[in-house]
Amino acid sequence: MSAAAFRYEPAATPLLRRERAEGVLRLGLRARGGASVLGTLYQQGCLKARFPKPVDPAWLEAVLLNVSGGVAGGDDLASRITLAAGARAIIASPAAERFYRALSLGGPARLTLAIDLAPGARLEWLPQESILFDGCAFIRRSEIALAGDARFLGVETLVFGRAAMGERLARGSIRDTIRLSRDGRLQLHEATRLEGAIDALLTRPATAAGAGATALMIYAAPDARSRLAGLRVALDGAEAGASLVLPDLLLARVLAPTAEALRGVVTAGLRALRDGRMLPRVWQC
Amino acid sequence: MIPADSMIIEPPALLNLLAWLSPAFPTGAYAYSHGLEWAVEAGDVRDGASLEAWLTAVLDQGSARGDAILLRAAHREGKNPARLAELAELAAALAPASERRGETLAQGAAFAAAAAPWGGSAPVALPVSLGVLATRHGIPEDAATLAYLQAFIANLISAAVRLVPLGQSTGQAVLAALGPAILATAGATESAGLDDLGSSCLRADIAAMRHETQYTRLFRS
Repeated sequence: MSAAAFRYEPAATPLLRRERAEGVLRLGLRARGGASVLGTLYQQGCLKARFPKPVDPAWLEAVLLNVSGGVAGGDDLASRITLAAGARAIIASPAAERFYRALSLGGPARLTLAIDLAPGARLEWLPQESILFDGCAFIRRSEIALAGDARFLGVETLVFGRAAMGERLARGSIRDTIRLSRDGRLQLHEATRLEGAIDALLTRPATAAGAGATALMIYAAPDARSRLAGLRVALDGAEAGASLVLPDLLLARVLAPTAEALRGVVTAGLRALRDGRMLPRVWQC
Repeated sequence: MIPADSMIIEPPALLNLLAWLSPAFPTGAYAYSHGLEWAVEAGDVRDGASLEAWLTAVLDQGSARGDAILLRAAHREGKNPARLAELAELAAALAPASERRGETLAQGAAFAAAAAPWGGSAPVALPVSLGVLATRHGIPEDAATLAYLQAFIANLISAAVRLVPLGQSTGQAVLAALGPAILATAGATESAGLDDLGSSCLRADIAAMRHETQYTRLFRS
């Protein structure tokens, strides 16, 4: 599409933000005594980290935020999170991330996340939903590298437009890839690709049958096998499935009509995978 | 669209391709439903029209498209052992459920063994194993991709004929109706690379997961 075609975009709408946002965040955590503490923190541009007082000092809590107010075309956001041996952390976000209409001039937004866990480290990656607005375009790539017996629990939620607001995700271009490896061996390459007329696409029975939101849950840990039955019980009755893809890798996929309904199911699933420990405050509602 | 001249195939190469993708080639394909057994149980696939809709999505949005991309990559790079090892790892890591992983890896291993008279192939995920063998035997990438997609879809139709059940004539009508979709996916993956991998067949993934606990099952996936 030519640049000129976009001159007539309704520039007044707050869904458009013309300047590109850039952000870099590097977070390094380590274990000290029985606690997990911040080792290094580098933040530049629109990515910031905050550290609420942890419920349990063994687990450092961090909240990551994008202060640009949402992701738009051309944005470039890169985060790297490193946990040294034995460190434990729960990382969440204070609010849902909004993926706004991308102007074709800016191209898709690019988001990268690199997570490195040393042996004995444990990370719970619990961001809130990604809300996809009509016309959004992004390429997100998350690379999770585990060493030894490190444990990773992650949730990723996509909300297909805000149906309650009467909004549709008519079109978009979404490439959302999560790769997980252990000791250098690739175990998971989960790639969600939504291209073109997304809401029509997602009405098909083999895709989403009109669901409004989906979540992927990943639990990579030596005890994954023993968690499968409990997770299945937690997801029972929902439009969801769970599978032990490898002896140390458990996946679950959930669909729901709305973001709210999805959150209820995901919260139940998280309880099964976290031995009932308190969820970060942002998840309690 | 695939250009016709990229389909030019020498008679001996065609003969091999027909042999390797015949239902009589012992890969055990008949034992796998790719989650269709659950989709039938759940009522998502119940007749010819719903089967056609399900498989169309698998072709243009899902795992059949992904397999075509993997096969093409293996055809181009399968002679390089390091790249082949990466592709094999990637193909296995794409499986969204345990039984889907088993489906592609067990069939790939059986395919590689059954190909012994042709020099054998790598015991890796099925589309990668086929891509490697096809390139060694001078079979054009487009021909191998199209034949793979046809065999993949015909096998799932055969599973649905047994599961729903459907009449044989309904099954063949679905296969005929899916011709354009098979051709379109072969064409659409021609210029696709590994960065284009990705699916939106979330309910097909859930079906493969739910199949693991299905009460009565005829199929391994």
